Amino acid sequence: MSKAPALELIDIHKTFTDVEVLKGISLKAYDGDVISILGSSGSGKSTFLRCINLLENPTKGEIIFNGESLKLTSSGRDLAAADMKQLTKMRQQIGFVFQSFNLWPHMTVLQNVMEGPSHVLKRPKHEVMDYAEHLLNKVGIADKKHMYPNQLSGGQQQRVAIARTLAMDPQVILFDEPTSALDPELVGEVLGVMRKLAEEGRTMLIVTHEMSFAKEVSSEVVFLHKGVVEEKGTPDKVFNSPDSERCRTFLSSTY
Amino acid sequence: MDFSVVVEYFPRLLEGAWVSVQLVALSVVLGALVALPIALARISQNWWIKGFPYAYIFFFRGTPLLVQIFLVYYGASQFDVVRESFLWPILREPYWCAIIAFTLNTSAYTAEIFRGAIQAIPEGEVEACKVVGMTKAQMYRRVLLPRAFGIVLPAYGNEIILMLKGSALASTITILDLTGMARTIIARTYTPIEIFLAAGGIYLAISMVIIAIFRQVEKRQNRYLGTVSIKVPDKG
Ligand SMILES: Nc1ncnc2c1ncn2[C@@H]1O[C@H](COP(=O)(O)OP(=O)(O)OP(=O)(O)O)[C@@H](O)[C@H]1O
Ligand SMILES: [Mg+2]
Repeated sequence: MSKAPALELIDIHKTFTDVEVLKGISLKAYDGDVISILGSSGSGKSTFLRCINLLENPTKGEIIFNGESLKLTSSGRDLAAADMKQLTKMRQQIGFVFQSFNLWPHMTVLQNVMEGPSHVLKRPKHEVMDYAEHLLNKVGIADKKHMYPNQLSGGQQQRVAIARTLAMDPQVILFDEPTSALDPELVGEVLGVMRKLAEEGRTMLIVTHEMSFAKEVSSEVVFLHKGVVEEKGTPDKVFNSPDSERCRTFLSSTY
Repeated sequence: MDFSVVVEYFPRLLEGAWVSVQLVALSVVLGALVALPIALARISQNWWIKGFPYAYIFFFRGTPLLVQIFLVYYGASQFDVVRESFLWPILREPYWCAIIAFTLNTSAYTAEIFRGAIQAIPEGEVEACKVVGMTKAQMYRRVLLPRAFGIVLPAYGNEIILMLKGSALASTITILDLTGMARTIIARTYTPIEIFLAAGGIYLAISMVIIAIFRQVEKRQNRYLGTVSIKVPDKG
């Protein structure tokens, strides 16, 4: 491949107080890649994802977005953004979908979706409104646009959160277990939306416990264990003939 | 007991009540404006930024309101600078001295309430701001302050009622608020029980109106905001 990766993480380490949770993780995501990150609870999946846009400050490592290295400076034991402008700019182009949705409860569904593009990107209101309605339509929530988040089910809230992320036109979207907080009967509607995004060719990094979904949509699967990449490859390789014994055990216990 | 004096002097008591309501309304609104920057500074990580609000809050919560009123009313006139300044026409008036003292006092409590509310906002909502690339200022303007305001509003009625009761102290510096008016009437009629009962009844009625308003606000909000509980500092 001659083109540079959209997102590249090099040797990411993270230590909390005295535990090293990430022990040097590297990953490249090219445009259109859908990378699923699997691993048992506590293996460091969320921490890794959160280090990418500095929701968590890594202890060591490099983050390269679109060929541009994020400037970091040491702050105590960790690294922090050296240039807040660069960080906010980068965050505007990297979407993040949380396990717990994190919609702003004082805004309606439509306002949640419009907030980023109109107040952060400062795009014209009417344009943003049209686009927000289009996105809400796409995730199947158009009829609820004037409701408040607390009036919606978990699955509906998560679909709004995805629309909110899409409204920024992000180049890469990070998902941290987007269906883990949902009742089983609501998981499908969210996975359906994510499947659509994968088919559109969006670049996504997905931390998930939904094995059949990961197998179906991913271009690459990464298995984390105790803060290291234990297994990595195509879904076929990781699910059907993993090299790592631990990965095999993990998959047989969950899938 | 002779309640005909109550009937006779009721209009005067209402006049006094009107003064009390003004004192409270003005100082609560001004107090909220003063409280906002103090609360924001108090949240700062910088010790030399949060040092001032810390001392400010410590002083106004740690000393009696009556002492604060006397300090403003008797204290200001001690300084030639004050007497010669353009502020003197204001600082000479007991009415404005009371408002200044009440404003400062309530702003210290309100700052703590604001701070509690801002810190009660779930971390996830703050992270949602960060991941869309908001700056700190955008985050406060668009999410944290409106959110804190919503969280605070129901609890805020409590502070207003405490202020209403505290406002009776205005009578000590010759203001004819509800309490001051009652005392003036009693000096003439020698019917303390009847008049103080009537004054107490009016205070209660005002409190009930305030409670009713805030209950309505709370009801409207819970419909879509859900409940976030915050620790409201005790009035010492
Ligand atoms: N803020 C923190 N302070 C201290 N330790 C933390 C913190 N966040 C996470 N950890 C620890 O780091 C380890 C990895 O956590 P992480 O949340 O990344 O795991 P995970 O793979 O996402 O697990 P899960 O599947 O349960 O979400 C855990 O042992 C956790 O206790
Ligand atoms: Mg996790």
